[in-house]
Parts: sequence; structure tokens; C-alpha cells
Amino acid sequence: MTPFMADGDERKIVKTLALGFLSLLLYAALFLNEESVLQLSTLGGWYALVPVAIAFVFSVAHGAFTGHFWDVLGVKARK
Amino acid sequence: MDAATAFIQLDLLEVVYLLVVGFIGGLVSGFIGSGGAFVLTPAMMSMDVPAIVAVASNMCHKFPKALVGAIKRARYGHVDVKLGIVIGVSAEAGVLYGAHLQESIKRAFGDAGSNLYVSLAFVVVLAVVGGYVLWDAIGAHRGAASQSEEKVSRLARCVQAVNIPYTMMYFRSLDARVSVLFTMPLGFATGMLASTIAVGGFIGVPGMHYLLGAPSLMASATELVVAFVMGLGGTIKYGWSGLVDVRLAMIILAGSLFGIQLGAIGTTYVRPHMIKVVMGTIMVLVLVSRALVIPVYLSDLGLIGTLGGGTARTLKGVSFGIMLFALATGAFIILAALQRGMRAQRRAEQAESGAVEPASVAGKAVPQLSPLGRFERVLLASDGSEFSAGAQREALRLAKRCNARIRAVTFVASDLEQEAMGEQVLKQELNTARAHLDRIAAQAAAAGVECETEVIQGSSVHEQILEECERFRADLVIVGRRGRGALARIMVGDTTLKLVGSAHCSVLVVPRTAEVHGRRFVVASDGSRFGDAAAVAAGSIAKRFDTQVTVVSVAVPSHPEARRKEAHGIVDRIVGLLRSDGVGAEGEVPVGLTADMILATAARASADLIIMGSRGRNRIERLLLGSNLERVLNRCQCAALVVKTA
Repeated sequence: MTPFMADGDERKIVKTLALGFLSLLLYAALFLNEESVLQLSTLGGWYALVPVAIAFVFSVAHGAFTGHFWDVLGVKARK
Repeated sequence: MDAATAFIQLDLLEVVYLLVVGFIGGLVSGFIGSGGAFVLTPAMMSMDVPAIVAVASNMCHKFPKALVGAIKRARYGHVDVKLGIVIGVSAEAGVLYGAHLQESIKRAFGDAGSNLYVSLAFVVVLAVVGGYVLWDAIGAHRGAASQSEEKVSRLARCVQAVNIPYTMMYFRSLDARVSVLFTMPLGFATGMLASTIAVGGFIGVPGMHYLLGAPSLMASATELVVAFVMGLGGTIKYGWSGLVDVRLAMIILAGSLFGIQLGAIGTTYVRPHMIKVVMGTIMVLVLVSRALVIPVYLSDLGLIGTLGGGTARTLKGVSFGIMLFALATGAFIILAALQRGMRAQRRAEQAESGAVEPASVAGKAVPQLSPLGRFERVLLASDGSEFSAGAQREALRLAKRCNARIRAVTFVASDLEQEAMGEQVLKQELNTARAHLDRIAAQAAAAGVECETEVIQGSSVHEQILEECERFRADLVIVGRRGRGALARIMVGDTTLKLVGSAHCSVLVVPRTAEVHGRRFVVASDGSRFGDAAAVAAGSIAKRFDTQVTVVSVAVPSHPEARRKEAHGIVDRIVGLLRSDGVGAEGEVPVGLTADMILATAARASADLIIMGSRGRNRIERLLLGSNLERVLNRCQCAALVVKTA
């Protein structure tokens, strides 16, 4: 039987890597389409929601990744 | 303005620069609730980003960062969302007015006038507020060894005592009702400062702490909610004019989210006064930085003699350097405190595990069976009703058998609704609760059990009990059960179920008439590590009661033969392990519905305790609690112990 801690750690690492990859994909998509994203986000008016939406999406993916990142490194809140 | 044409091309060095500054800014924000922005805006401007775009992009990174930080710190119970939103909304008005004021000054006195106004605002606010925060922090630091709780300031007590009809609101962080006529000016000032020097928190956090009476940890976390509201509003405002460079914002966000997570974790390791130490230190250093450039702006306005170009550049350079130093100093203090705290916790854990003899029945062959079944610190949650009688009785019995310490708590609701009922009613409830706890303490003393008591107040029973479990570092929490029958779910009590689903430690649910004499225990296992954890605990507690254990692994009729064989294997393994540990054990593999079979086995064996395993605290698992475990908890006539593991 696989030891409990190793099993849990492995799952955490896989989850962290998956979230990191998702975060990386989002950044790649942003910078590969830099010009069109900038153009769209600077049109003004209701297009102000474009940077807001981008910021929300990035905060969800990258926020989850960074949370898991420190956890995997063993930096956890005091119990 | 054609903002897009004003957006700069980014090179790798600039990206790394923004990532690093973003990380440090995030670290400080996660810890003190704000900060970082006063460096980020000039940092972007030093890369030739137009000032307005730098401000707009800073706003756009600020609200998602604050959101992530607020969620993280809400998990530690630091955030008062209501207070954050109330202050945030008035801060939004302050931001708009502050921006308007700055534009007026710029029109009248030009860039130098605007810069002088900003620097003077920095110097005045930081000198007054920063000086006081640092002075208070030093005082708190000296007395830190003797006091872990913060005192509510005299000013805050006066503010809380003021009752202005139709304006009063209850805030959890203050545990008091305060008039919005106090929170609104505070929010407005926070917003004005945010629009002037980009760090509203330098007024918001001290204001919530000294003026309203929020603990500094909660004030700093609640400021993140304020920052979210202001940042979102600011992003929409600037975005409406197409001024947000979303690339800059997302690069800074990439670094700052690493930082804010770390800063938030740091708050769980420090005494509250450390928030003031970090904030006060940064504020005083920034004060020096801004004071240095005042002569430059005075010279530009012709109010003093003209400074040479070299002198002005040097002063500006040194000023920016000190700002970076201020941020780095704050980050250093936080990281040092975090490292110290983590080291101290590791030492405490090592000392604790070394002091206790492992109670594992696993042996070397089954490494997942970690030391469990230790019941040295027992939290008894009792509401004083007849349904808690069983829990009280068994808590004392178990504590005596296990030489455990008891912390008996009872709950008095103190939310807005209760407050509205009046002070007298609340006082009466508190007196009843204390009398009930005194009776438990007397019973414990008679039984020779060490017992402490506490009346806990709040709006959510199970959350408060969970907090008490964490604070007391309970190995076990004991609660009563309301009964059984057709309305089982309602009867067992939502609080008990939530507690079982969310607690880190094991939970013993005791129906009113159930008694644990140690006739026989039943442990249920599906072969998972949770079942193994239950077996370890069963072995440990059976030795204390000198009783025998029946191990059950239920085979469902639809299962193929191989699964049934597997169930026999599970039972044989656990029985073997228990016997090798000196505990009398036998096994059964009944066929039927899992919960029914566990209950039937317990009834047949006249067992007085059913022991089951359950995992930790994530939401899906809490929902899944509804199946077999919940059915057993609802319907068992004897006590049921739910052994928790991660």
C-alpha cells in the first residue's frame, strides 16, 4: 500500500503543476496577443470591463497556483 | 489621450524588475493590508510609463491582489467583510474627491504644485499616523512577553459608546455596534489618501484599529477588502478612459500574488503588534523619503532658491532609493518573523511528538497508520440542554480514563439580532451560560479531572467551536446529539454535522442516554487510510477501557466476489494488528447496506461505541459526509467516534 503522506504530497504537487501550467498558458495567451488585447482594453467605455475580466481570470488561476506553491514548499499557516 | 501609443515596449529586465517589486509589494500587502503601491507607481514611471497609466495599471493589479489576499486571510478568520465593504464604499467617494482635488491643484499650480501637495500629504500623514503607530508598536513590543491580547484604545471605547439612532451597525471585528457616521469619514479619508499617495491603508488600518477598536490583525486583513473595492472602482474609472496597461498590471500581479500569499501566511505566526512594527517602520522610512524631495518642488515653485539640476536629481534618486529600502525593510521583517514562527512551531511539534508514546498498532508493515487515538486535550461543547447531558458525562469519564484535560465551552449568540434583543437579555444568557459551566467545572473537580471553562460568543456556533478546537489544540471534541428518528438530519443538529465535517480533530457524538462503559467497541473500515486511522484510535481507546473490539467491513450485495474477499482481507489485517498490540479483537464481514450493517453489528455486540474514520475539511468531502457516516451518526443508539485524518 502506498504510504499516506507520499500519496497526498504527490497529489498536491500534480495539482500545483497543473495550476502553474494553466497560469502559464494564460500569460502566454496575453503576451502572444499583446497588441489586440491592448487595443481592446484601451477602447474606453464599457471596454473597461476587459482589463477587469482579465484581472479576475488571472487572479483565480494564478492565485490558486501561488497558494499551492507555498504549500508544496512547506510554507503553511500556523495550525 | 491615445493611451495605447503611450504604452511602452517591455524588455526582459523591466519584466523581472516589476515581478520583484510586485512580489515585495504583495508580501507587505498580505501582511499589513496595504503598501507596495507607493513604490510600484514610481517604479513604473521610472520605466517611462506615463504617470496616469502607471496609476491606472497599479489599480488594475491592486484589486485582484487584494481579492486573493482577502480570501486567504478570511480562511484564518481575520477578515470582517461587512466593515470592509462599508469603509470601501465611502473610500470610493474619497478616491473620486481626492482625484478631483489633485486635478484642481495641478491646473492651478502645475506639476510641481501637484507633486508638492502629494509630498506634503505624505509627510503630514506619515509623521502623525506613522509616528504614533511606531511608538505604539515599540511599546507593545516591550510588553509583548506579558500580553498576547491587544487592548481596545480609549478613543475606540468612546466611539463604540456613542449611540446615534438609525446609524448603528454591528461589526464582527469590533464585537460592537458603531455608528456609520464614524466609519464614513474614515473610509473617505482612506480613499483620499489612496488617490493622493496610493496607500489608503496608512490611514485605513490605523483608523480601524485605534478609532473603531478592531484588532490590528483584523484591521490589516479588512483593509484588503477596502483595497479590493477601491481598486475595482479605480480600474473601471481609468479603464473607462482606456488608460489601463493590462500587461503591466498582470506582470506585477504575477509577482504580487506570490508575495501576498506569503504575507498572509506570515500573519498566522506573529503577535498582533508585529503588524504595527512593520507598518510603522515603513511609514517612517517613506516619510524620510518624501521629505527629501520637498525642497525640489519648493524650488520648482520658486518658493525657495533654485536648486541645481544635479542636486534635484540626486535628491529624487535618494528619495526613490529610500522608498525601495522601506519596502525591502518591511519585507525583511515579515520574512524574519515568518521564519522564526515556523521554526518555533516545528520545535513545538517535535517536542510534542517526542513526549507522547506512539499508539500505533501498525508496526513497520503498514506505515500509513500514524500515531492516533491520543486524547489528552478534550474540548467539550455543551449548550446546557438535556441533549448535552450525555456529552458532559462521557467527557468526564473519558478524561479520567485518558488523564486528559477538559476545556468546556458553551455558546452564546451575539450577532445583530441578539444585540437588538437588548443588553439585559444578553447578560442574562451569559450568566446562565457561566452557571452551567461552573456546574461542569464542579463535576470535573469532583471526578479529579483538570477542567477549564469558557463562554464563547459569536454568530456561528460551529465556526466558534472549530476556532476553540484550534486554539486549544484539541485532540477530541465531544458534542451531544438531539435524538433520532424520521427527522434524523434535523434532529442530529446541523451544528454537529458541520462540526464533524469541518473539524481537524476527532469528534465524539454522544446521544443523551448513551454511556461508554467499555462493554465492546465496533470499528468500521473500508480498507482506506481513514478506516486504518479509525482502527488505530480504536486500539488506543480499547486499551484505556480494557475492552474488546469488533472490526467490521461491510460487503455490499452488488459487489463481486473479489470485493467480498477484499473485505475479509481488510478485517483480518486490522484484527491481526489489534491483537498484536494486545487488544482483543474479532472481525465480521456482513453483507448489506453499509450504515445498516454497522448499526446492526453494534446492536448485536451490545457495543457502547462505534468508531469510524473520516477525512479532513474540503467542501466536497463535507458534502459527502451525508452518506454512511451521517446515517450512522443519526441512527446509532450508542456514542459514535469519528476519527479525523488529513
